[in-house]
Amino acid sequence: MTPVMLTLLIFAIMLALMAARAPIAISMFVAGAVGYVLQAGWMPLASFLNTQAFARFASYDLSVIPLFILMGNFATQGGISRALFGFASSIMSRFKGGLAMAAVMACAAFGAICGSSVATAATITQVALPEMRRLGYSGRLATGTLAAGGTLGILIPPSVPLVIYAILTEQNIAKLFAAAMVPGIIAMLGYMVAIAIYVRLVPGHAPEHEEGPPITLQSLSGIVPIAAIFVIVFGGIYGGLFTPTEGAAVGAASTFIAALVKREIDWAKFKLCFYSTAESSAMIFLIFLGADLMNSALALTQVPAQMAGIVQGWGLPPLAVVGAIMLFYVVLGSVMDELSMILLTIPIFFPMIMGLDFGMPKESVAIWFGIMVLMTVGFGMLAPPVGLNVYVVNGMAKGVPIAESYRGVVPFLISDTLRTLLLLFFPPISLWLVGYIG
Amino acid sequence: MTLLSRLAKVCAVLAGVLLTVITLITCASLIGRNTIGWTLVGDFELSGSAAGAAVALFMPWCQLERGNIMVDFFTARASVATQEKLDRFGALLLALAMGLMTWRTTVGGLNAWASKAGSMMLGFPEWLVYVGMVPPLLLTTLIALAQAVRGFEFGGTELAQ
Repeated sequence: MTPVMLTLLIFAIMLALMAARAPIAISMFVAGAVGYVLQAGWMPLASFLNTQAFARFASYDLSVIPLFILMGNFATQGGISRALFGFASSIMSRFKGGLAMAAVMACAAFGAICGSSVATAATITQVALPEMRRLGYSGRLATGTLAAGGTLGILIPPSVPLVIYAILTEQNIAKLFAAAMVPGIIAMLGYMVAIAIYVRLVPGHAPEHEEGPPITLQSLSGIVPIAAIFVIVFGGIYGGLFTPTEGAAVGAASTFIAALVKREIDWAKFKLCFYSTAESSAMIFLIFLGADLMNSALALTQVPAQMAGIVQGWGLPPLAVVGAIMLFYVVLGSVMDELSMILLTIPIFFPMIMGLDFGMPKESVAIWFGIMVLMTVGFGMLAPPVGLNVYVVNGMAKGVPIAESYRGVVPFLISDTLRTLLLLFFPPISLWLVGYIG
Repeated sequence: MTLLSRLAKVCAVLAGVLLTVITLITCASLIGRNTIGWTLVGDFELSGSAAGAAVALFMPWCQLERGNIMVDFFTARASVATQEKLDRFGALLLALAMGLMTWRTTVGGLNAWASKAGSMMLGFPEWLVYVGMVPPLLLTTLIALAQAVRGFEFGGTELAQ
Protein backbone atom coordinates (compact mmCIF):
# COMPACT_ATOMS: atom_id res chain seq x y z
CA MET A 1 0.00 0.00 0.00
CA THR A 2 1.32 3.46 -0.82
CA PRO A 3 1.73 5.95 2.04
CA VAL A 4 -1.06 8.12 0.68
CA MET A 5 -3.47 5.18 0.49
CA LEU A 6 -2.54 4.19 4.04
CA THR A 7 -3.21 7.72 5.24
CA LEU A 8 -6.58 7.72 3.53
CA LEU A 9 -7.37 4.31 5.02
CA ILE A 10 -6.55 5.52 8.54
CA PHE A 11 -8.81 8.55 8.12
CA ALA A 12 -11.55 6.43 6.55
CA ILE A 13 -11.58 4.07 9.53
CA MET A 14 -11.69 6.98 11.95
CA LEU A 15 -14.53 8.73 10.12
CA ALA A 16 -16.55 5.53 9.67
CA LEU A 17 -16.35 4.70 13.36
CA MET A 18 -17.11 8.28 14.33
CA ALA A 19 -20.17 8.35 12.08
CA ALA A 20 -21.31 5.12 13.73
CA ARG A 21 -21.40 6.77 17.17
CA ALA A 22 -18.19 5.25 18.53
CA PRO A 23 -16.51 7.59 21.05
CA ILE A 24 -14.20 9.97 19.11
CA ALA A 25 -11.18 8.97 21.21
CA ILE A 26 -11.78 5.30 20.42
CA SER A 27 -12.34 5.97 16.72
CA MET A 28 -8.88 7.56 16.62
CA PHE A 29 -7.41 4.80 18.77
CA VAL A 30 -8.69 1.98 16.55
CA ALA A 31 -7.75 3.76 13.30
CA GLY A 32 -4.29 4.47 14.71
CA ALA A 33 -3.82 0.89 15.92
CA VAL A 34 -4.77 -0.56 12.52
CA GLY A 35 -2.49 1.91 10.71
CA TYR A 36 0.37 1.20 13.11
CA VAL A 37 0.10 -2.59 12.79
CA LEU A 38 -0.14 -2.42 8.98
CA GLN A 39 3.10 -0.46 8.79
CA ALA A 40 5.24 -1.59 11.70
CA GLY A 41 3.63 -4.79 12.93
CA TRP A 42 2.23 -5.80 16.30
CA MET A 43 5.36 -5.85 18.47
CA PRO A 44 6.33 -2.19 17.97
CA LEU A 45 2.73 -1.19 18.70
CA ALA A 46 2.72 -3.30 21.86
CA SER A 47 5.90 -1.74 23.16
CA PHE A 48 4.64 1.74 22.18
CA LEU A 49 1.54 1.14 24.31
CA ASN A 50 3.52 -0.23 27.29
CA THR A 51 4.53 3.24 28.36
CA GLN A 52 1.91 5.37 26.65
CA ALA A 53 -0.55 5.68 29.54
CA PHE A 54 2.28 6.50 31.94
CA ALA A 55 3.84 9.03 29.57
CA ARG A 56 0.57 10.88 29.02
CA PHE A 57 -1.10 10.64 32.42
CA ALA A 58 1.84 11.00 34.78
CA SER A 59 3.01 14.26 33.26
CA TYR A 60 3.61 17.35 35.33
CA ASP A 61 2.89 19.60 32.35
CA LEU A 62 -0.44 17.97 31.64
CA SER A 63 -1.54 18.00 35.29
CA VAL A 64 -2.44 21.64 34.66
CA ILE A 65 -5.55 20.39 32.80
CA PRO A 66 -7.36 18.55 35.63
CA LEU A 67 -6.34 21.34 38.00
CA PHE A 68 -7.91 24.07 35.86
CA ILE A 69 -10.99 21.86 35.45
CA LEU A 70 -11.22 21.39 39.22
CA MET A 71 -10.89 25.15 39.68
CA GLY A 72 -13.75 25.72 37.23
CA ASN A 73 -15.91 23.21 39.08
CA PHE A 74 -15.25 24.83 42.44
CA ALA A 75 -16.26 28.14 40.83
CA THR A 76 -19.42 26.55 39.40
CA GLN A 77 -20.51 25.03 42.71
CA GLY A 78 -19.24 27.93 44.77
CA GLY A 79 -22.11 30.35 44.14
CA ILE A 80 -19.79 32.94 42.60
CA SER A 81 -21.85 33.34 39.44
CA ARG A 82 -24.98 34.86 41.02
CA ALA A 83 -23.10 37.76 42.56
CA LEU A 84 -21.26 38.36 39.29
CA PHE A 85 -24.44 38.55 37.28
CA GLY A 86 -26.06 40.73 39.92
CA PHE A 87 -23.26 43.26 39.74
CA ALA A 88 -23.12 43.24 35.94
CA SER A 89 -26.87 43.82 35.68
CA SER A 90 -26.74 46.71 38.12
CA ILE A 91 -24.27 48.42 35.77
CA MET A 92 -25.90 47.53 32.47
CA SER A 93 -29.63 47.71 33.15
CA ARG A 94 -29.85 51.36 32.04
CA PHE A 95 -29.17 50.28 28.42
CA LYS A 96 -31.56 48.62 26.04
CA GLY A 97 -30.71 44.90 26.02
CA GLY A 98 -28.75 45.61 29.17
CA LEU A 99 -29.47 42.34 30.90
CA ALA A 100 -28.20 40.38 27.90
CA MET A 101 -25.04 42.49 27.93
CA ALA A 102 -24.73 41.85 31.65
CA ALA A 103 -24.93 38.11 30.96
CA VAL A 104 -22.08 38.45 28.47
CA MET A 105 -20.02 40.37 31.03
CA ALA A 106 -20.72 37.75 33.68
CA CYS A 107 -19.63 35.02 31.24
CA ALA A 108 -16.40 36.90 30.54
CA ALA A 109 -15.66 37.37 34.25
CA PHE A 110 -16.47 33.75 34.98
CA GLY A 111 -14.30 32.74 32.03
CA ALA A 112 -11.40 34.39 33.81
CA ILE A 113 -11.38 31.59 36.36
CA CYS A 114 -12.92 28.81 34.28
CA GLY A 115 -11.29 27.23 31.25
CA SER A 116 -14.27 25.49 29.70
CA SER A 117 -16.96 27.00 27.50
CA VAL A 118 -19.72 24.52 28.31
CA ALA A 119 -19.20 24.99 32.05
CA THR A 120 -19.29 28.78 31.65
CA ALA A 121 -22.45 28.66 29.53
CA ALA A 122 -24.22 26.31 31.94
CA THR A 123 -23.20 28.20 35.07
CA ILE A 124 -24.21 31.66 33.90
CA THR A 125 -27.38 30.31 32.25
CA GLN A 126 -28.49 29.01 35.63
CA VAL A 127 -28.51 32.48 37.16
CA ALA A 128 -29.15 34.70 34.13
CA LEU A 129 -31.76 32.85 32.08
CA PRO A 130 -34.65 32.97 34.60
CA GLU A 131 -34.04 36.68 35.15
CA MET A 132 -33.91 37.43 31.42
CA ARG A 133 -37.12 35.52 30.73
CA ARG A 134 -38.85 37.20 33.67
CA LEU A 135 -38.05 40.65 32.28
CA GLY A 136 -39.42 39.72 28.86
CA TYR A 137 -36.41 38.73 26.81
CA SER A 138 -37.29 36.37 23.96
CA GLY A 139 -36.09 32.78 24.17
CA ARG A 140 -34.13 33.40 20.98
CA LEU A 141 -32.06 36.30 22.28
CA ALA A 142 -31.66 34.89 25.79
CA THR A 143 -30.40 31.46 24.74
CA GLY A 144 -28.33 32.83 21.86
CA THR A 145 -26.61 35.29 24.18
CA LEU A 146 -25.79 32.67 26.79
CA ALA A 147 -24.55 30.09 24.28
CA ALA A 148 -22.26 32.69 22.71
CA GLY A 149 -21.23 34.12 26.09
CA GLY A 150 -20.15 30.63 27.09
CA THR A 151 -17.42 30.62 24.46
CA LEU A 152 -15.76 33.42 26.45
CA GLY A 153 -14.93 30.65 28.91
CA ILE A 154 -12.25 29.39 26.52
CA LEU A 155 -11.46 32.70 24.79
CA ILE A 156 -10.50 34.38 28.05
CA PRO A 157 -7.67 32.64 29.92
CA PRO A 158 -7.38 30.17 31.54
CA SER A 159 -8.40 28.08 28.58
CA VAL A 160 -8.17 24.31 28.31
CA PRO A 161 -7.91 24.20 24.48
CA LEU A 162 -5.12 26.78 24.61
CA VAL A 163 -3.25 24.72 27.22
CA ILE A 164 -3.47 21.70 24.94
CA TYR A 165 -2.24 23.74 21.98
CA ALA A 166 0.68 24.99 24.08
CA ILE A 167 1.63 21.46 25.09
CA LEU A 168 1.36 20.03 21.57
CA THR A 169 3.46 22.80 20.04
CA GLU A 170 5.84 23.20 23.01
CA GLN A 171 4.97 26.85 23.45
CA ASN A 172 4.93 28.86 26.66
CA ILE A 173 1.47 28.63 28.27
CA ALA A 174 1.87 31.96 30.06
CA LYS A 175 2.62 33.76 26.78
CA LEU A 176 -0.34 32.15 25.04
CA PHE A 177 -2.62 33.21 27.90
CA ALA A 178 -1.30 36.77 27.61
CA ALA A 179 -1.94 36.70 23.87
CA ALA A 180 -5.53 35.55 24.43
CA MET A 181 -6.32 38.35 26.88
CA VAL A 182 -6.94 41.24 24.45
CA PRO A 183 -8.80 39.13 21.85
CA GLY A 184 -10.94 37.78 24.71
CA ILE A 185 -11.91 41.29 25.79
CA ILE A 186 -12.57 42.25 22.15
CA ALA A 187 -14.82 39.19 21.94
CA MET A 188 -16.80 40.34 24.97
CA LEU A 189 -17.21 43.88 23.61
CA GLY A 190 -18.08 42.49 20.18
CA TYR A 191 -20.88 40.39 21.68
CA MET A 192 -22.21 43.39 23.59
CA VAL A 193 -22.23 45.49 20.42
CA ALA A 194 -24.00 42.62 18.60
CA ILE A 195 -26.73 42.71 21.27
CA ALA A 196 -27.06 46.49 21.07
CA ILE A 197 -27.48 46.35 17.30
CA TYR A 198 -29.78 43.33 17.32
CA VAL A 199 -32.29 44.73 19.83
CA ARG A 200 -32.58 47.89 17.73
CA LEU A 201 -32.83 46.20 14.33
CA VAL A 202 -35.19 43.42 15.36
CA PRO A 203 -37.76 44.72 17.83
CA GLY A 204 -39.62 42.54 20.27
CA HIS A 205 -36.75 40.48 21.64
CA ALA A 206 -35.83 42.66 24.58
CA PRO A 207 -38.00 44.79 26.92
CA GLU A 208 -38.15 48.53 26.20
CA HIS A 209 -37.25 49.50 29.74
CA GLU A 210 -35.41 47.57 32.37
CA GLU A 211 -34.78 48.39 35.92
CA GLY A 212 -31.92 46.68 37.62
CA PRO A 213 -30.70 46.66 41.17
CA PRO A 214 -28.82 49.82 42.13
CA ILE A 215 -25.04 49.73 42.32
CA THR A 216 -24.24 49.33 45.98
CA LEU A 217 -21.23 48.38 48.01
CA GLN A 218 -22.84 45.02 48.57
CA SER A 219 -23.30 44.30 44.87
CA LEU A 220 -19.73 45.44 44.30
CA SER A 221 -18.51 42.99 46.92
CA GLY A 222 -19.91 40.21 44.74
CA ILE A 223 -17.06 40.51 42.30
CA VAL A 224 -14.32 40.69 44.91
CA PRO A 225 -13.63 36.93 45.14
CA ILE A 226 -13.37 36.40 41.40
CA ALA A 227 -11.19 39.47 40.91
CA ALA A 228 -8.95 38.39 43.78
CA ILE A 229 -8.54 34.87 42.37
CA PHE A 230 -7.75 36.22 38.92
CA VAL A 231 -5.17 38.65 40.28
CA ILE A 232 -3.54 36.00 42.48
CA VAL A 233 -3.33 33.39 39.71
CA PHE A 234 -2.26 35.59 36.81
CA GLY A 235 -0.34 38.06 38.95
CA GLY A 236 1.61 35.13 40.31
CA ILE A 237 2.26 33.63 36.88
CA TYR A 238 3.33 36.90 35.24
CA GLY A 239 5.08 38.18 38.35
CA GLY A 240 7.35 35.15 38.09
CA LEU A 241 6.22 33.75 41.45
CA PHE A 242 5.01 30.49 39.97
CA THR A 243 4.54 28.41 36.82
CA PRO A 244 1.16 28.01 35.07
CA THR A 245 0.75 24.54 36.59
CA GLU A 246 1.39 25.95 40.04
CA GLY A 247 -0.96 28.77 39.15
CA ALA A 248 -3.70 26.23 38.41
CA ALA A 249 -3.15 24.63 41.82
CA VAL A 250 -3.22 28.04 43.52
CA GLY A 251 -6.37 28.87 41.55
CA ALA A 252 -8.09 25.65 42.59
CA ALA A 253 -7.17 26.23 46.22
CA SER A 254 -8.25 29.87 46.29
CA THR A 255 -11.51 29.18 44.45
CA PHE A 256 -12.24 26.47 47.00
CA ILE A 257 -11.51 28.88 49.84
CA ALA A 258 -13.77 31.52 48.25
CA ALA A 259 -16.59 28.97 48.05
CA LEU A 260 -15.93 27.94 51.65
CA VAL A 261 -16.07 31.53 52.86
CA LYS A 262 -19.40 32.00 51.08
CA ARG A 263 -20.58 28.84 52.88
CA GLU A 264 -21.61 27.47 49.53
CA ILE A 265 -19.69 24.22 49.58
CA ASP A 266 -20.17 21.10 51.66
CA TRP A 267 -18.95 17.51 51.35
CA ALA A 268 -21.79 16.58 48.94
CA LYS A 269 -20.94 19.49 46.60
CA PHE A 270 -17.26 18.78 47.05
CA LYS A 271 -17.89 15.26 45.72
CA LEU A 272 -19.96 16.67 42.84
CA CYS A 273 -16.93 18.76 41.90
CA PHE A 274 -14.83 15.61 41.85
CA TYR A 275 -17.36 13.75 39.69
CA SER A 276 -17.60 16.42 37.06
CA THR A 277 -13.82 16.93 37.10
CA ALA A 278 -13.58 13.17 36.55
CA GLU A 279 -15.87 13.30 33.56
CA SER A 280 -14.13 16.19 31.78
CA SER A 281 -10.57 15.13 32.61
CA ALA A 282 -11.01 11.48 31.67
CA MET A 283 -12.69 12.46 28.42
CA ILE A 284 -9.78 14.75 27.50
CA PHE A 285 -7.06 12.26 28.41
CA LEU A 286 -8.75 9.44 26.54
CA ILE A 287 -8.75 11.70 23.48
CA PHE A 288 -5.04 12.26 24.14
CA LEU A 289 -4.44 8.49 24.04
CA GLY A 290 -6.42 8.04 20.84
CA ALA A 291 -4.92 11.05 19.09
CA ASP A 292 -1.39 10.01 20.12
CA LEU A 293 -1.81 6.62 18.54
CA MET A 294 -3.41 8.00 15.40
CA ASN A 295 -0.75 10.69 15.02
CA SER A 296 2.03 8.13 15.47
CA ALA A 297 0.50 5.95 12.77
CA LEU A 298 0.14 8.98 10.48
CA ALA A 299 3.73 10.03 11.19
CA LEU A 300 4.93 6.56 10.14
CA THR A 301 3.41 7.12 6.69
CA GLN A 302 5.57 10.28 6.38
CA VAL A 303 2.66 11.95 4.63
CA PRO A 304 2.16 14.76 7.20
CA ALA A 305 5.86 15.67 6.99
CA GLN A 306 5.71 15.77 3.20
CA MET A 307 2.48 17.79 3.29
CA ALA A 308 4.35 20.66 4.95
CA GLY A 309 6.86 20.65 2.09
CA ILE A 310 4.18 20.38 -0.56
CA VAL A 311 2.20 23.31 0.84
CA GLN A 312 5.40 25.36 1.05
CA GLY A 313 6.11 24.47 -2.58
CA TRP A 314 2.79 25.87 -3.74
CA GLY A 315 4.06 29.31 -2.88
CA LEU A 316 0.65 30.48 -1.65
CA PRO A 317 0.44 33.65 0.39
CA PRO A 318 0.91 32.50 4.03
CA LEU A 319 -2.27 34.26 5.15
CA ALA A 320 -4.22 32.31 2.55
CA VAL A 321 -2.93 29.05 4.04
CA VAL A 322 -4.00 30.14 7.53
CA GLY A 323 -7.36 31.23 6.13
CA ALA A 324 -7.85 27.85 4.45
CA ILE A 325 -6.97 25.98 7.65
CA MET A 326 -9.44 28.10 9.58
CA LEU A 327 -12.22 27.41 7.07
CA PHE A 328 -11.38 23.72 7.40
CA TYR A 329 -11.73 24.04 11.21
CA VAL A 330 -15.10 25.72 10.88
CA VAL A 331 -16.37 22.86 8.71
CA LEU A 332 -14.79 20.11 10.82
CA GLY A 333 -15.91 21.85 14.00
CA SER A 334 -19.53 21.47 12.97
CA VAL A 335 -19.34 17.73 13.65
CA MET A 336 -16.28 17.29 15.88
CA ASP A 337 -15.48 18.65 19.33
CA GLU A 338 -12.74 21.24 19.65
CA LEU A 339 -10.25 19.21 21.69
CA SER A 340 -10.26 16.19 19.36
CA MET A 341 -9.89 18.57 16.47
CA ILE A 342 -6.88 20.32 17.98
CA LEU A 343 -5.20 17.09 19.06
CA LEU A 344 -5.71 15.49 15.68
CA THR A 345 -4.81 18.36 13.37
CA ILE A 346 -2.21 20.49 15.14
CA PRO A 347 0.58 17.91 14.71
CA ILE A 348 -0.11 18.10 10.96
CA PHE A 349 -0.86 21.81 10.51
CA PHE A 350 1.64 23.30 12.92
CA PRO A 351 4.81 22.24 11.01
CA MET A 352 3.09 23.49 7.86
CA ILE A 353 2.54 26.93 9.36
CA MET A 354 5.99 27.13 10.88
CA GLY A 355 7.47 26.46 7.44
CA LEU A 356 5.87 29.61 6.02
CA ASP A 357 7.28 33.12 6.19
CA PHE A 358 4.97 35.61 7.89
CA GLY A 359 7.66 38.21 8.41
CA MET A 360 7.47 37.59 12.17
CA PRO A 361 9.73 35.65 14.55
CA LYS A 362 8.82 31.94 14.74
CA GLU A 363 7.62 32.19 18.31
CA SER A 364 5.24 35.02 17.45
CA VAL A 365 3.83 33.00 14.57
CA ALA A 366 3.28 30.02 16.87
CA ILE A 367 1.47 32.16 19.46
CA TRP A 368 -0.62 34.07 16.95
CA PHE A 369 -1.63 30.86 15.13
CA GLY A 370 -2.69 29.41 18.49
CA ILE A 371 -5.01 32.36 19.04
CA MET A 372 -6.42 31.95 15.52
CA VAL A 373 -7.10 28.26 16.18
CA LEU A 374 -8.78 29.15 19.46
CA MET A 375 -11.01 31.72 17.73
CA THR A 376 -12.06 29.27 15.05
CA VAL A 377 -12.88 26.34 17.28
CA GLY A 378 -15.29 28.65 19.08
CA PHE A 379 -17.46 28.68 15.92
CA GLY A 380 -18.03 24.96 16.20
CA MET A 381 -19.54 25.41 19.64
CA LEU A 382 -22.26 27.69 18.25
CA ALA A 383 -22.87 26.63 14.65
CA PRO A 384 -25.40 23.99 13.61
CA PRO A 385 -25.71 21.02 13.38
CA VAL A 386 -23.94 20.30 16.66
CA GLY A 387 -23.16 23.53 18.49
CA LEU A 388 -22.48 22.05 21.91
CA ASN A 389 -23.06 25.32 23.77
CA VAL A 390 -26.37 25.87 22.02
CA TYR A 391 -27.52 22.41 23.06
CA VAL A 392 -26.49 22.90 26.66
CA VAL A 393 -28.18 26.29 27.04
CA ASN A 394 -31.26 25.23 25.09
CA GLY A 395 -31.56 22.12 27.27
CA MET A 396 -31.84 24.41 30.31
CA ALA A 397 -34.43 26.71 28.69
CA LYS A 398 -37.88 25.14 28.88
CA GLY A 399 -40.17 25.84 25.92
CA VAL A 400 -37.56 27.36 23.61
CA PRO A 401 -37.27 25.37 20.34
CA ILE A 402 -33.70 24.55 19.32
CA ALA A 403 -34.22 26.31 15.98
CA GLU A 404 -34.93 29.55 17.88
CA SER A 405 -31.67 29.18 19.79
CA TYR A 406 -29.75 28.65 16.55
CA ARG A 407 -31.38 31.82 15.17
CA GLY A 408 -30.31 33.56 18.35
CA VAL A 409 -26.61 32.85 17.85
CA VAL A 410 -26.52 34.37 14.34
CA PRO A 411 -25.63 37.92 15.47
CA PHE A 412 -22.85 36.49 17.63
CA LEU A 413 -21.48 34.37 14.78
CA ILE A 414 -21.29 37.55 12.69
CA SER A 415 -19.41 39.22 15.54
CA ASP A 416 -17.11 36.16 15.75
CA THR A 417 -16.38 36.34 12.03
CA LEU A 418 -15.49 40.04 12.13
CA ARG A 419 -13.25 39.57 15.17
CA THR A 420 -11.50 36.57 13.63
CA LEU A 421 -10.77 38.51 10.44
CA LEU A 422 -9.48 41.43 12.50
CA LEU A 423 -7.07 39.16 14.38
CA LEU A 424 -6.06 37.36 11.19
CA PHE A 425 -4.99 40.55 9.46
CA PHE A 426 -3.59 42.31 12.53
CA PRO A 427 -1.43 39.86 14.51
CA PRO A 428 -0.10 42.66 16.79
CA ILE A 429 -3.50 42.79 18.53
CA SER A 430 -2.75 39.35 19.95
CA LEU A 431 0.97 39.83 20.32
CA TRP A 432 1.51 43.23 21.92
CA LEU A 433 0.70 42.14 25.47
CA VAL A 434 3.06 39.16 25.10
CA GLY A 435 5.87 41.65 24.49
CA TYR A 436 5.38 43.19 27.93
CA ILE A 437 5.76 39.96 29.85
CA GLY A 438 8.89 39.08 27.88
CA MET B 1 -23.51 -3.46 38.11
CA THR B 2 -24.03 -1.69 41.39
CA LEU B 3 -20.62 -2.98 42.43
CA LEU B 4 -19.00 -1.50 39.29
CA SER B 5 -20.78 1.82 39.88
CA ARG B 6 -19.68 1.93 43.48
CA LEU B 7 -16.10 1.16 42.55
CA ALA B 8 -16.18 3.87 39.86
CA LYS B 9 -17.41 6.37 42.46
CA VAL B 10 -14.69 5.38 44.88
CA CYS B 11 -12.10 5.82 42.11
CA ALA B 12 -13.40 9.28 41.19
CA VAL B 13 -13.37 10.49 44.79
CA LEU B 14 -9.91 8.98 45.32
CA ALA B 15 -8.67 10.81 42.23
CA GLY B 16 -10.25 14.03 43.49
CA VAL B 17 -8.43 13.60 46.78
CA LEU B 18 -5.17 13.02 44.88
CA LEU B 19 -5.74 16.26 42.96
CA THR B 20 -6.40 18.04 46.24
CA VAL B 21 -3.12 16.63 47.57
CA ILE B 22 -1.32 17.94 44.47
CA THR B 23 -2.88 21.32 45.12
CA LEU B 24 -1.74 21.34 48.74
CA ILE B 25 1.80 20.15 47.95
CA THR B 26 2.14 22.80 45.26
CA CYS B 27 0.79 25.61 47.44
CA ALA B 28 2.98 24.60 50.39
CA SER B 29 6.04 24.42 48.18
CA LEU B 30 5.58 27.76 46.51
CA ILE B 31 4.59 29.59 49.66
CA GLY B 32 7.77 28.21 51.21
CA ARG B 33 9.81 29.16 48.18
CA ASN B 34 8.52 32.72 48.01
CA THR B 35 8.65 33.46 51.74
CA ILE B 36 11.29 31.61 53.75
CA GLY B 37 13.25 30.23 50.81
CA TRP B 38 12.35 26.64 51.68
CA THR B 39 11.19 24.48 48.84
CA LEU B 40 9.90 20.97 48.57
CA VAL B 41 12.50 19.27 46.39
CA GLY B 42 10.95 17.39 43.48
CA ASP B 43 7.42 18.63 44.22
CA PHE B 44 6.66 18.58 40.50
CA GLU B 45 7.65 14.92 40.29
CA LEU B 46 5.21 14.07 43.06
CA SER B 47 2.52 16.12 41.30
CA GLY B 48 3.15 14.39 37.98
CA SER B 49 3.05 10.94 39.57
CA ALA B 50 -0.13 11.69 41.52
CA ALA B 51 -1.73 13.17 38.40
CA GLY B 52 -0.94 9.95 36.52
CA ALA B 53 -2.90 7.86 38.96
CA ALA B 54 -5.65 10.49 39.24
CA VAL B 55 -6.29 10.67 35.49
CA ALA B 56 -6.62 6.87 35.25
CA LEU B 57 -8.84 6.84 38.33
CA PHE B 58 -11.17 9.35 36.67
CA MET B 59 -11.80 7.05 33.69
CA PRO B 60 -14.25 4.48 35.11
CA TRP B 61 -16.66 7.18 36.23
CA CYS B 62 -16.46 8.94 32.86
CA GLN B 63 -17.32 5.74 31.01
CA LEU B 64 -20.10 4.89 33.46
CA GLU B 65 -21.63 8.32 32.83
CA ARG B 66 -21.05 7.92 29.08
CA GLY B 67 -18.96 11.06 29.23
CA ASN B 68 -16.67 10.08 26.36
CA ILE B 69 -17.72 12.43 23.64
CA MET B 70 -19.11 11.07 20.36
CA VAL B 71 -20.75 12.40 17.21
CA ASP B 72 -24.51 11.85 16.97
CA PHE B 73 -25.06 14.00 13.91
CA PHE B 74 -24.96 11.22 11.30
CA THR B 75 -27.31 8.94 13.19
CA ALA B 76 -29.75 11.57 14.42
CA ARG B 77 -32.52 10.19 12.23
CA ALA B 78 -31.95 6.54 13.08
CA SER B 79 -34.38 4.82 15.41
CA VAL B 80 -33.67 4.76 19.11
CA ALA B 81 -33.13 1.01 18.89
CA THR B 82 -30.48 1.41 16.18
CA GLN B 83 -28.77 4.15 18.16
CA GLU B 84 -28.70 1.96 21.24
CA LYS B 85 -27.19 -0.93 19.24
CA LEU B 86 -24.49 1.35 17.82
CA ASP B 87 -23.76 2.76 21.25
CA ARG B 88 -23.32 -0.74 22.63
CA PHE B 89 -20.96 -1.48 19.76
CA GLY B 90 -19.06 1.70 20.65
CA ALA B 91 -18.84 0.54 24.26
CA LEU B 92 -17.51 -2.81 23.02
CA LEU B 93 -14.78 -1.04 21.01
CA LEU B 94 -13.91 1.03 24.04
CA ALA B 95 -13.75 -2.12 26.16
CA LEU B 96 -11.36 -3.70 23.63
CA ALA B 97 -9.15 -0.60 23.49
CA MET B 98 -9.10 -0.23 27.28
CA GLY B 99 -8.50 -3.96 27.66
CA LEU B 100 -5.47 -3.59 25.41
CA MET B 101 -4.32 -0.58 27.45
CA THR B 102 -4.78 -2.51 30.71
CA TRP B 103 -2.71 -5.40 29.41
CA ARG B 104 0.09 -3.29 27.95
CA THR B 105 0.19 -0.93 30.95
CA THR B 106 0.56 -3.98 33.19
CA VAL B 107 3.53 -5.09 31.09
CA GLY B 108 4.92 -1.55 31.25
CA GLY B 109 4.55 -1.58 35.03
CA LEU B 110 6.36 -4.92 35.30
CA ASN B 111 9.17 -3.52 33.16
CA ALA B 112 9.39 -0.46 35.39
CA TRP B 113 9.55 -2.74 38.44
CA ALA B 114 12.29 -4.86 36.86
CA SER B 115 14.38 -1.87 35.80
CA LYS B 116 13.75 0.00 39.07
CA ALA B 117 12.96 3.11 37.03
CA GLY B 118 12.38 6.18 39.15
CA SER B 119 11.86 9.92 38.83
CA MET B 120 14.88 12.13 38.37
CA MET B 121 15.25 14.02 41.66
CA LEU B 122 13.38 11.96 44.21
CA GLY B 123 13.80 8.55 42.62
CA PHE B 124 10.06 8.15 43.12
CA PRO B 125 9.42 4.62 41.77
CA GLU B 126 7.56 4.54 38.47
CA TRP B 127 5.97 1.17 39.15
CA LEU B 128 3.99 2.73 41.96
CA VAL B 129 2.22 4.98 39.44
CA TYR B 130 1.48 1.91 37.29
CA VAL B 131 -0.05 0.25 40.36
CA GLY B 132 -2.37 3.23 40.60
CA MET B 133 -3.24 3.11 36.89
CA VAL B 134 -3.86 -0.57 36.11
CA PRO B 135 -6.87 -1.25 38.41
CA PRO B 136 -8.93 1.73 37.17
CA LEU B 137 -8.08 0.88 33.55
CA LEU B 138 -9.34 -2.65 34.19
CA LEU B 139 -12.46 -1.28 35.87
CA THR B 140 -13.12 0.96 32.85
CA THR B 141 -12.80 -2.09 30.60
CA LEU B 142 -15.29 -4.05 32.72
CA ILE B 143 -17.79 -1.18 32.84
CA ALA B 144 -17.65 -0.74 29.05
CA LEU B 145 -18.01 -4.49 28.61
CA ALA B 146 -21.05 -4.57 30.89
CA GLN B 147 -22.57 -1.68 28.90
CA ALA B 148 -21.92 -3.51 25.62
CA VAL B 149 -23.56 -6.69 26.91
CA ARG B 150 -26.41 -5.30 29.00
CA GLY B 151 -27.09 -1.85 27.64
CA PHE B 152 -27.07 1.46 29.45
CA GLU B 153 -30.14 1.32 31.70
CA PHE B 154 -28.06 1.16 34.82
CA GLY B 155 -25.48 3.83 35.32
CA GLY B 156 -24.13 6.13 37.93
CA THR B 157 -26.56 8.99 37.53
CA GLU B 158 -29.04 7.87 40.15
CA LEU B 159 -26.23 6.96 42.50
CA ALA B 160 -24.65 10.38 42.17
CA GLN B 161 -27.75 12.16 43.39
